[in-house]
Amino acid sequence: MIMLANYGFANDAESASRSKGMPGVRVVSTKVPCESTVSADIEAGLDGSWDDIITALTKPLTTEEKNPRVEKTETPARIVFQGSLEEVNRFFYRRGWTDGLPIIPPTEEAVQEMLLGTDLAPDYLLGQLQSRLGKATVEKVAINAVMAGALPTYMPVLIAATIDLLESEQGFNGYTTYGFSTGSWSPFWIISGPIRQQLNINSGSGSFSPGNIANAAIGRAMGLIIKNIGGVRKGIEDMGVMGNPMKYTMVIAENEEESPWEPLHVEYGLKKEDSAISLNFPQTYLQHYPPGSDATSILQSVIDNITRGMRYTIVFNPSTAKNLAREGYNKEKIKQYIVEKKLVSAAQIKAQLGAVVIPESGLQQSSRNTAEMVPLIKDPRLIRVIVGGGPGAFVAHLIGGGATPGKKEIQKIELPKNWDKLVDKYKNVVPIYAKY
Amino acid sequence: MSNKTECFYEVLSPWAEADPVPYRAISPRIKDLAGKKIGLFCNTKRVAEPTLKVIEVRLKKMFPAAAFSWFFNTVPNEAIIAQTRKNEFENWLKGVDAVIAAYGD
Repeated sequence: MIMLANYGFANDAESASRSKGMPGVRVVSTKVPCESTVSADIEAGLDGSWDDIITALTKPLTTEEKNPRVEKTETPARIVFQGSLEEVNRFFYRRGWTDGLPIIPPTEEAVQEMLLGTDLAPDYLLGQLQSRLGKATVEKVAINAVMAGALPTYMPVLIAATIDLLESEQGFNGYTTYGFSTGSWSPFWIISGPIRQQLNINSGSGSFSPGNIANAAIGRAMGLIIKNIGGVRKGIEDMGVMGNPMKYTMVIAENEEESPWEPLHVEYGLKKEDSAISLNFPQTYLQHYPPGSDATSILQSVIDNITRGMRYTIVFNPSTAKNLAREGYNKEKIKQYIVEKKLVSAAQIKAQLGAVVIPESGLQQSSRNTAEMVPLIKDPRLIRVIVGGGPGAFVAHLIGGGATPGKKEIQKIELPKNWDKLVDKYKNVVPIYAKY
Repeated sequence: MSNKTECFYEVLSPWAEADPVPYRAISPRIKDLAGKKIGLFCNTKRVAEPTLKVIEVRLKKMFPAAAFSWFFNTVPNEAIIAQTRKNEFENWLKGVDAVIAAYGD
């Protein structure tokens, strides 16, 4: 077999071949433009690769190709560097271990303190994270957590989030697609249950804005875990065309105190007193302004701003949520309303998605009659409704992928025995703004 | 003013260990395409099929006695051997002399 790849994907193809145990796969780099629909461009793109294609099919195997040697994978020493704050940061940055922002040096002492947030042993193996199947030990999670500026109380969340990644379904709707896709999908973590308040996770005004250590550091730590444990490198495994600023961090707590509805973890079958984390992979963050505060105006605005047949997380601000509830709308009724009211022609769906069949869209149920109106989102379980944000009218949509409905949607957060003491130690790490 | 009391840090590695993946050799090559059956493995992205169609036309012109057989993976981002069509795919592989795969990127 030979593999054709656009020259921009040659490293990605090589990495995939190696990680699947066939480093010798002959990848022929072409100039066929990615996703092209223009025949002349495809023809021209193959012109320069034609000899390479014939050669790759017929040239006898080299000795190395017949007997590929397993290269010893790099195992950095446990103490990997000594130096000043600036030198540590330069060293980590040049190794590709940061997100570009300065990191907190993960010293033995800092990591030991971080490990107070779990009863699991440092060498406890949570699993092997794609794409390089790096061993996600509790200590590696803690090291990356220190780097991100996390507090030890975040460890239960980070462990649960790592398990969520590890148990993400294989294939189109899982981490292995959304973590690496050209679509630049970004992990989006929703935390629900009592731990929200214990960690001071912002669920009020400016929930998605910078300024709260938990929202900032939990998402950042997970980004570093994906990079340093999963080995996902930008432009090699992560082939996001545009990239996504949400990859720095995208974490929200459900505003359960101001919500008229049951929280997400209860919807998914956990107890109200449990805490849990849930993962989706949106590509886009959109806000809209309903023209009125009654249910009809709010829901029409929601419908108008649903434009793609994908998963949606809709974040209603508290007053909007209460107005909907007052008029009889619970989460299920809102989801059903969207499925029933957001109809588009089958032709429109096909035009939007091109040749790619998105399993979660209405495409599969569309008839041969392209004029037939079909739901843009066919399954209400593809829609999540939560309450977040502060006073005001704006509503947020997070648009993009996640698990197949019915598959794993949430991970319970397990707390260590010393939890109350630990929370007490860090509970006052909150910003207190100067008065002026 | 310079900081003369700069701290010195001894830091742990964030990079995870990974077990080496056992490597396998790729299949032996054929000497010539003339008279051979060439498999065209088409993945789901939209440029894969037109690319392979161009290749089929060009190869037919160069090697009129060559035959072609297509296999389409219709499930996005899922390896064919992880699907229920694994046996169908493996039987298809047995019937061809070489394969050109196009993912579409």
